[in-house]
Amino acid sequence: MPMVEVSLPDLERLVGIKLSEKDIVNSLEMMKGEIEELTEDALVFEASHDRPDLFSAEGLGRAISYIMEVRKPRKYRVAPPTTFLDISRAPKYRPYAYLAIVRNVELDDEGVKQLFQLQEKLHSAYCGDRSLVSIGLYDLDKIVPPIRYLEVEESTFIPLGESKEMTLKEILEHTDKGFRYKHLVKEGGYPLLTDSRGEVLSFPPIINSEMNKVTEETRNILIDVTGTEPNLMMKVLNVVTTSVAERGNNVIIEAVEIRGGEAPHNVAPDLEGEEVSVAHDSIQKLLGYSLNRVSVQNILQKMGYVARVEDDFYEVWIPPYRIDVHGEVDVVEDIAIGYGYSNIPLSRTPPSPTLGFNHPIERFSSLLRDFMVGMGLQEVLNFMLIDEDVLNMFSGGKHVKLVNPKMKQYSALRNSIIPSLLISAVINYEKVSTLEIFEVGDVVQLDNGVPTTERMVGFLLMGDKYTLTDGLVIAKTLTQALGGTYRAEGAEIPGFIKGRTAKIYVNDIAVGHVGELDPALTTELGVMKPVIAGEISLNLLRKVLLGFSSQ
Amino acid sequence: MARTIRLTEEVFLHPRQYELLTALIKAGKPLDARTLSSILGKKQEDIMRDVEELGSKGLVQTRRVIKYKVVLTDYGRKYLEEGFPEEKLIRVIQSLGGQAIPIRELSARAKEAGLGREEYSASIGRLKKGGVLLIKGGEVSLNTRLLEELVKELGKYRKVLQELEGGVVFNEPQWWFREFRHRKLISVEEVKEILLEPTPLARRLFREGKIHEAEIVSRLTTDLIESGKWRYVKLKSFDLSIDVPVRQLRKKHPYIRFLDRVREILVGMGFQEMKGPHIELSLWNFDVLFVPQYHPSRRSSDVYFAKVPGKVHVDLNLLKRVKEIHTSVLKYTWSEEEALKPVLRTHTTPVSMRTIVNRGGGEYRAFSLDRVFRPDTPDPTHLMEFHQLEGIIVSKNVTFRDLLSFFKDLADALDLGEVRFRPAYFPFTEPSVEGYIKHPELGWIEVFPGGMFRPEVLRGVGLPDEYQVAAWGIGIDRIAMMVLGISDIRELYTNDLEVIERMPVAKEVIK
Repeated sequence: MPMVEVSLPDLERLVGIKLSEKDIVNSLEMMKGEIEELTEDALVFEASHDRPDLFSAEGLGRAISYIMEVRKPRKYRVAPPTTFLDISRAPKYRPYAYLAIVRNVELDDEGVKQLFQLQEKLHSAYCGDRSLVSIGLYDLDKIVPPIRYLEVEESTFIPLGESKEMTLKEILEHTDKGFRYKHLVKEGGYPLLTDSRGEVLSFPPIINSEMNKVTEETRNILIDVTGTEPNLMMKVLNVVTTSVAERGNNVIIEAVEIRGGEAPHNVAPDLEGEEVSVAHDSIQKLLGYSLNRVSVQNILQKMGYVARVEDDFYEVWIPPYRIDVHGEVDVVEDIAIGYGYSNIPLSRTPPSPTLGFNHPIERFSSLLRDFMVGMGLQEVLNFMLIDEDVLNMFSGGKHVKLVNPKMKQYSALRNSIIPSLLISAVINYEKVSTLEIFEVGDVVQLDNGVPTTERMVGFLLMGDKYTLTDGLVIAKTLTQALGGTYRAEGAEIPGFIKGRTAKIYVNDIAVGHVGELDPALTTELGVMKPVIAGEISLNLLRKVLLGFSSQ
Repeated sequence: MARTIRLTEEVFLHPRQYELLTALIKAGKPLDARTLSSILGKKQEDIMRDVEELGSKGLVQTRRVIKYKVVLTDYGRKYLEEGFPEEKLIRVIQSLGGQAIPIRELSARAKEAGLGREEYSASIGRLKKGGVLLIKGGEVSLNTRLLEELVKELGKYRKVLQELEGGVVFNEPQWWFREFRHRKLISVEEVKEILLEPTPLARRLFREGKIHEAEIVSRLTTDLIESGKWRYVKLKSFDLSIDVPVRQLRKKHPYIRFLDRVREILVGMGFQEMKGPHIELSLWNFDVLFVPQYHPSRRSSDVYFAKVPGKVHVDLNLLKRVKEIHTSVLKYTWSEEEALKPVLRTHTTPVSMRTIVNRGGGEYRAFSLDRVFRPDTPDPTHLMEFHQLEGIIVSKNVTFRDLLSFFKDLADALDLGEVRFRPAYFPFTEPSVEGYIKHPELGWIEVFPGGMFRPEVLRGVGLPDEYQVAAWGIGIDRIAMMVLGISDIRELYTNDLEVIERMPVAKEVIK
């Protein structure tokens, strides 16, 4: 989750009072933030995903000011629109756009920095890295509304950070942002935000114009969101608008009308907020302890809500930037947090109404492991993820591959436990002259192309003194110890020497195989000794022993 | 221990004992232990145990005697040379006539004759006592008859003293001990001696050639025992100072053993083990769990997508329900295609989801301890495949407080110490919590993530309204590392036999 950096003096200015280390630590814990670094000048913390309002200093300062009761939460007043946004000619593949205006802001370079941080963190956590929503901020005084959001074949403007005009195509090819996000736009139908003079505000979602960027001198800010998800966009716009509105003492938030297109909203931002009813009993029911009404009301206020106490419920106003709150449980969590998790009176886990038990396959596995150790083999443990090349020595492609492996060593899921045991043999090869190992674990096999998990027992013997006989002895010993009848029949299995491999039948049903590994294969992995390996499906074996007929 | 040896028996003795007995028999007379040990070239204390053993076998008898070692003192030597002081006095008296000698004159003459004052008065006393000397009216006279007797007696004394030159050892106290000690003529030292001699039985057996030196063996064998010869051989004493090797111990993997212990704890708390597939549709891994399709945890950097050739079955009702929930609550365009993408499960919470779908409402609790996958590069604290301990408590009455209490109980069962709780966020629980325990080096570490499933999740799996579910998904590997004393997570999954052997037994298995 995003790492957020704020300057401490700036934060204190936003909160309105000086903050001790304890104040910061306590407040951050209440907002699920994990402090990475706290010095006299700076705070770096990991914000949790559900609090995007805290992705910059403004929202953090606001939240702390409520917790420390410097301010009380209030509903937002939004001035009616004085201008509009025309989206009638927006590109079909990215058809939505909303605007909001915040007047009388006071910014310094830390403020500008924080607003950019907010955009960046929101893009990554909520906007699918700009694919769903893209955010832009502009100096309103350098723009002449109304604003148009349209689709163009080409255009030119000076992009942010450049000194001369570039065409849209050039921007896509020659700038960082162009390269990164060009897959989100379509050639010949580029999205563009312009003002009434035709001046370009931005080429969303790629890059803004240099000419109307937000600076320390900016007094009035225009905020835009464009994209494919209108409701998500509105939430993001609400977060940004309410954060920008923290920058200044006489700030006015002004709505902007949307005309044309098929957006679900006519006007933005939507700072009405939601009302959620929280039954007083719900608190006890969910949390397991109760609080008195006065405490609850105090807590709700500290956590940033405006709450009205009724007889047996609370009417709670949810601020528009709390896009994580969907209903009662979200408010109740904040009540629990405000009360303090460390104040929750703990007792014991309630007694169980049922008997506990191990899964039958785990019990069976445990028995098999006892038997294998009893025969003198050492248990090893391997990953299910494995190098596809090793698998291909055996299974002929019938295994689950990864679409996005990170390392070649772990690029597929094993469908047999023998390749894993072979890897174990490779690791111990230099240190021993003989090896007797086993593993009981899961593999994923494809049954008509559909993956199923199987529990296997596999064993491997490495050394000059071993032949197929020794492998068969293990299979037979296991079978008879479990009370089954044993039979071995010659079989051809990839990876094993022809004529030195057998399928194992228990009570006449094939449950596994044992064989001598082909040196053509083992030597490729650097194993120069004879290797005998075998595996048996425990799912199958168990069914067979319990008397079910095959498959 | 003592056993009567029958006359007809062949006797097998330890070589040491054989040598000892033979020496005693050959000596022909009782030997004291010191003498015997010097014949054998050993220290006395070394042979005593063998003597006792032979004694308990009835072959040697031991007599403890006290002997008296008498040596002349300086006085004794002096009197032997110069005569007893009373003899000197008598001569003085005789030289003065022997009768009616004034005492003062006697005293003066005695002094001239070399008698010391003490010797003089002691002699006077002694002679007076014996009646040899009469003192009447300040005059001293000799009794001639008694004098003869005294002279005889002194003669005897002198003879004895002569024989004491050089020190003599007596078997019994002698008649003159008391007198001579009293007069400090001798010192008598009591010497304890152990006299050893073979018993008649021993002599007889020896004569008949029935006493043999036994063989020393280093180990018993079936042969020795079956033949009875074990009675007549001597087992070499074991040298415990020599180190012994260890046996090759094949064992269950210590990490798996720890996981079994965790299972045991959960089962003991009434949890029933559940299992689910390693490859899940995104629907089960994310969508049912109310994770929006735009959530960062669904990116290809955070989840392994799987290539599955066949078509995985999906419950269409479930699909429809989940679509409705995402669309109505989160209000974004939900993609069925995205939900049907197969992934390697990133957590075992889908197993909980399947369990609730299968079992519905009720009072039960379930757990799962199985593997999950995340695209991480292996390093000391991360792996791309690891175990998760998942659990749910389904009940009409389960609460957030119960969840925290459970974490505390689990921490107690695993001896993890104090637990601290902090607010946390998971897309599928609300309220959520993260429990921390204190690691001796790393400080507070997060190990207990959990929460109450959101209503949207419970709606998705069709759980009736009146039920709540407390849930958690613990990264059990971190805890395993603490308990097994391991600082690199990769060591848990090692298959290097040397590392496996070195792994200590988890203390809580022994407690």
